[in-house]
Amino acid sequence: MNARLDSFSYDDDIVRKFLWATMIWGLVGFLIGLIIAIQLPWPGFNLAPYLTFGRLRPLHTNAVIFAFAGNAFFTGAYYSTQRLLKARMWSDALSRFHFWGWQAIIVAAAVTLPLGLTQSKEYAELEWPIDIAIAVVWVAFAVNYFVTLTKRRERHIYVAIWFYIASIITVALLHIFNNLSVPAGAFKSYSLYAGVQDAFMQWWYGHNAVAFFLTTPFLGLMYYFMPKAADRPVFSYRLSILHFWSLVFLYIWAGPHHLHYTALPDWASTLGMLFSVMLWMPSWGGMVNGLLTLRGAWHKVTEDPILKFFVVAVTAYGMSTFEGPMLSIKSVNALAHYTDWIIAHVHTGALGWNGFLTFGMIYWLAPRLFQTELYSKNLVNLHFWLATFGILLYVVAIYSAGATQGLMWRAFDETGRLQYPDFVETVIRLIPMYWVRVVGGTLYITGATIGCYNLFKTWAKRPATYEVPVVQAAPLSAKDTDEHAPAVAGGLLARFTHMGWHRKWEGMPLFFSVMTAVAVIIASLFEIIPTFLIKSNVPTIASVKPYTPLELAGRNIYQREGCFNCHSQMIRPLTYETERYGDYSKPGESVYEHPFLWGSRRIGPDLAREGGKFPDLWHVRHMYNPREVTQKSIMPAYPHLQSNTIDFGSIQKLVDAMAMIGVPYGDAVNKAPAMAKAQAEQLAAAIEAAGGPKGLADKEIVALTAYLQRPGRDLKNAGTQ
Amino acid sequence: MRLSDIMGAANLSVYAELAMILFLAAFVVIMIAIFAPGRKHTYDAASRMPLDDEHPQTPR
Repeated sequence: MNARLDSFSYDDDIVRKFLWATMIWGLVGFLIGLIIAIQLPWPGFNLAPYLTFGRLRPLHTNAVIFAFAGNAFFTGAYYSTQRLLKARMWSDALSRFHFWGWQAIIVAAAVTLPLGLTQSKEYAELEWPIDIAIAVVWVAFAVNYFVTLTKRRERHIYVAIWFYIASIITVALLHIFNNLSVPAGAFKSYSLYAGVQDAFMQWWYGHNAVAFFLTTPFLGLMYYFMPKAADRPVFSYRLSILHFWSLVFLYIWAGPHHLHYTALPDWASTLGMLFSVMLWMPSWGGMVNGLLTLRGAWHKVTEDPILKFFVVAVTAYGMSTFEGPMLSIKSVNALAHYTDWIIAHVHTGALGWNGFLTFGMIYWLAPRLFQTELYSKNLVNLHFWLATFGILLYVVAIYSAGATQGLMWRAFDETGRLQYPDFVETVIRLIPMYWVRVVGGTLYITGATIGCYNLFKTWAKRPATYEVPVVQAAPLSAKDTDEHAPAVAGGLLARFTHMGWHRKWEGMPLFFSVMTAVAVIIASLFEIIPTFLIKSNVPTIASVKPYTPLELAGRNIYQREGCFNCHSQMIRPLTYETERYGDYSKPGESVYEHPFLWGSRRIGPDLAREGGKFPDLWHVRHMYNPREVTQKSIMPAYPHLQSNTIDFGSIQKLVDAMAMIGVPYGDAVNKAPAMAKAQAEQLAAAIEAAGGPKGLADKEIVALTAYLQRPGRDLKNAGTQ
Repeated sequence: MRLSDIMGAANLSVYAELAMILFLAAFVVIMIAIFAPGRKHTYDAASRMPLDDEHPQTPR
């Protein structure tokens, strides 16, 4: 027994800050989600230029992932880590820097995304200055966290902390490597990678953002707050260790299942599929572990709304981790990919798992942090039921929308032709389900608003000054011993199976973290290096040329307006796709695509073979008001493209940045503006001659039209050579 | 000769399968280690950590 006890207190002020940020950003994120949900069935709700679906959808995803779920993770992590380690955070200043830095980043996102400043990679849209800020804030958080680990007063590091450590390390890696890019101005950059490589990198990032931002941190929260709320330890601690290592070893491989039947090499997507299917069992192990923590306490669930939130959260985790592996199987994926099915899948996870775990945690924390009774238990119950029905309405409607559209796309009639050749037919069929989603979303937001009100009223009852309890704990002795463990007799095998080595690792957080990082890095490198460097993976096509300066400027507009959120540029080698859109996409076609714009959802048709499909004037009229050309179209109107002028001067910078990352631009590196002007005048004259509006030679619509007439052209040229 | 030529000739695609086997092996090893008999009391003690953290007095 050590006689000397340290006295210290926990920093709960930072937890209160993050709690409010979670709820407020949560409401904002849900509200933007509701707006874009209304924009789909009612295109008039798009307010061009700043508030269109293409610009708001990334804002919604960023807000709910990084603002809502991110702040929720920090809330729970700051609360539980200090208590599990019996140590105050090492530096209050760094904790506060982390808090204010993170909120500033969110504000920057909320400003830049509606302005159309985007890298156009999903969940990594923020432009390079913000990316640097994210890296700085994250590193500050990590430093504070790891130093706190070394100052702990508890030998064993509880499993929740392992999940936090893995999340902190992996998110840093993912963020840095996916965002490597060359700036072409203060808020414009081009991804260092192109085409297949960029797609591979992006979904290595994208899937692991789900894994290490929305899954592992929340599992850490589950392993701490569920035992707390149920007042009994986790069902099986062994299972939780297995859960941890399986996720760390398996998740990192699963990314390529986002790219089935694309131009990605087959071996890579098969590997992604296998690892995804393997993930099913450990994930369910974790779900069972969570649910069985309530063994013998099920009667409490009927009375305690916090436990209700947790039960639904863990059930939603189970549902989405069953569905994920299933969707990663190629033949299932062929039906579901590009449809609303995926949207329903992520919302089961986000609304159910992340949302409900967060709400449960916050209701558990509120009385403890505000040191008073919760204002109203009935309102918590009301929140629970509104949100539960909201989720049900949402997912049932959107699952049916996904299945409906997927089946319509692949339907052939008895003469062997596409049954629904007109894409818009497959869209209007979904409109009623889109309205059901609006109702579901409204219920969910109403629940969250009631939650905010309840928390506010609880906060209003707080004592004048918070009591700060003094905690006492003995410092760790220098000798690395485990008093509870009996001496292990026998040989190496006995020692191995007695986990002495693992206990040692746990005692050395730095080493443990390094091992976690090694597992993640090795997996990533084994997967990434071959894709990047084996030439046969990306056969070159001689006729594929870089974009002209004007087309490049047009492509920027395509990115700015977020067209890739609704239009893919990737035709899969499936009969019903080639029948509808044309020849399937080849890896060699996108060697100059910095970044790739393959897309992940077809709310509108694929555009990989758009070049030459329609006359120039069609594009001009269509962008001005899509319903003039396609009566039932749900696309937003972009009239401002006919009045915004092209900044010819800035085109040189774009071309130079592209040339810097190896795109063979030749002459254009010296005279890009002149070349762009010449092409724009020619195109504007052709549009005018066809009976279109006059004086478009310096307007953005010309650049965009030039770009839209390009996809697929290179392949057609190859045929005529 | 560019780096990609060298890497292309190295026939690396087999590494992916190799890595998969390695990872599976690591997984099996961890599973055996975790579920091997013994040390139950250690796990039980560890699993109680969230519950004993409010006003810890016992030195550890």
